[in-house]
Amino acid sequence: MTREEIIRSCLIFATGLFLLAFTLGPFIWMIWISLADRADFLVTGQVEYSLSNYRQVLTAHSLHFLDYLSNSLWISTITAIIVTLFSSMAAYAVSRMRFPGRSVVPLLILAMSMFPQISIVGYLFEMFSKAGLINSHMALILPYIAWTIPIALWINMSYFTQIPLDLDKAALVDGASRMKVLYKIIFPLALPGIFSSALLVFIACFNEFLFAIMLTIDYTAQTLPVGIALFQGLHGEIPWGNLMAASAIASVPLVILTLIFQRYIVAGLMGGAVKG
Amino acid sequence: MNATKITIKSLAKSFVTFRGKVDVLKSIDLEIEPGEFFVLLGPSGCGKSTLLNLLAGLEKPSGGELYFDQELVADSVGKFSGPFERDISMVFQSYALYPHMTVEGNIAFPLTNLPQVPSPKVMQAKVKEAATLLQIDHLLDRKPAELSGGQRQRVAIGRAIVRNPKVCLMDEPLSNLDAKLRNEMRAHLKDLQKKLGVTTIYVTHDQLEAMTLGHRIAIMNNGVLQQVGTPVEIYRAPINQFVARFIGSPTMNMLTGDLNEENGSLYLQADTLKIKLPTETACKLKPKNLKKITLGVRPERLYVITEGEQNLALPVNVIENVGPEFLIYSFHKQGQIVVRTPDEPVGDSLCLALDAGHLHLFDDQGARINL
Repeated sequence: MTREEIIRSCLIFATGLFLLAFTLGPFIWMIWISLADRADFLVTGQVEYSLSNYRQVLTAHSLHFLDYLSNSLWISTITAIIVTLFSSMAAYAVSRMRFPGRSVVPLLILAMSMFPQISIVGYLFEMFSKAGLINSHMALILPYIAWTIPIALWINMSYFTQIPLDLDKAALVDGASRMKVLYKIIFPLALPGIFSSALLVFIACFNEFLFAIMLTIDYTAQTLPVGIALFQGLHGEIPWGNLMAASAIASVPLVILTLIFQRYIVAGLMGGAVKG
Repeated sequence: MNATKITIKSLAKSFVTFRGKVDVLKSIDLEIEPGEFFVLLGPSGCGKSTLLNLLAGLEKPSGGELYFDQELVADSVGKFSGPFERDISMVFQSYALYPHMTVEGNIAFPLTNLPQVPSPKVMQAKVKEAATLLQIDHLLDRKPAELSGGQRQRVAIGRAIVRNPKVCLMDEPLSNLDAKLRNEMRAHLKDLQKKLGVTTIYVTHDQLEAMTLGHRIAIMNNGVLQQVGTPVEIYRAPINQFVARFIGSPTMNMLTGDLNEENGSLYLQADTLKIKLPTETACKLKPKNLKKITLGVRPERLYVITEGEQNLALPVNVIENVGPEFLIYSFHKQGQIVVRTPDEPVGDSLCLALDAGHLHLFDDQGARINL
């Protein structure tokens, strides 16, 4: 190895290490505190490790952790499914069919997502109050759909436009209906895009805080980020151990989902469609 | 045999864009006979692919009518049958294979869309039959990505023939293959079309493919049909300068100039080059009283002579040895003049003779002058 190569590998290694520490550091710290019996162990030096925080979070009814978790899972899953369905069909239309305004529609939809959440949450609250939807799953699912559909549409569009138009033509000539072209040819090929957009939507909804805290009132509809933020100790102190244990459990679904979908989110599926 | 006659009447197609209306096809009239191998030839952008898409039912015409046998399949008023109702199949330049399906899945796909889907056993037999015909039966469980270009093209053809369509459309199917494979596949395609007897419309910009494959060729330019005829007809009597230049390789030599009469002979003065027209040609041309004409001669119809009456003399600039023959290039103000000769030329100039039977004359509009 030459001097230059050594320096380069060192720099790459150092940057990698820094980034790893930067991203994993808080996570490790979270796990660490969740396992400790007291949060100030770094000062006092006295600590015992156990799973008691986890046991408490999962079993104490007063914390409602499982309610929050199930609310979050329901709301995120339903939103992800609906958004994926609509955004992928919209992306197909925009990337495939000729109709007036075909280049304007995606831009308008993107423009919609540029309003800061805070600017519409007041109106949303009023609207849902009148509709009697406050503190229901629907109060979050509806705005989440509107909020995430632009990003999902754009991700899907970028994948769909990579699929050669000749494949649609070939399938139509081969006698397939538009719907069949969609689910037999285009969807299987755009699967990585569809999965990544679904995953992103799920994560965005799972993490969302502002709408969740404004449009819900109690554990029947509150999601995990809100629930965890509202954790309170018996005597008003911040229950760090419980907080961290809850956060650690909350990240499990996301990790599992990412691991499952990672297999599908691979490039190179397109090989051999047309001459490359 | 499952052969269909196609009748195209005043077919037109225009697209409306922000910059205005673009006429891609202007009133095309054509009749394609049952079982014919018909080639649409033209430069890129001439509208040949649009015409193919109209025939396929992938686009709707802006004017005119389209008949398959006696049945109207599309007009500009509202009658429109989709590709499947017309019972056509299509081979694309890009192959357009479904990358997530195996070769078997690709070939079987059209069968799965039939109103009465055949049983798996019948389907398998049909796929096998098509694959055997194309010599790809050992590749049935591979994915397109694992195939070579030629194999992919065969799969695409297999998918097109598996359900015995009435009409088979081919959009430059060979232009993605390398030269050697292209020649092989060309012969194979011709043989296959003969065996199947299906009406085939083949789009290409390669005049050699058109000449070798087609029973008849239609040459298009700027959305207008220029000439329709057998390869020999088009080669021997191109109807205008565009067709004359487009067909034949190397291209036809063209010289434009004024006609002068000297001592009873007719001369064409093309800038510095003075060409004596053969007596037979001169006699027929004189009564027409033309001032300016373009003379076209194919490279193989310029004869190098050492004695006898010469029609023109040319300096030799470049000699190419292409194996069985020599191509001699002489650079001229109006472009290059190419002479094709079996013998290596001697000296740095050529004496050439013309044959009255193989001259092409065009008027100042570019149209052929028939003598």
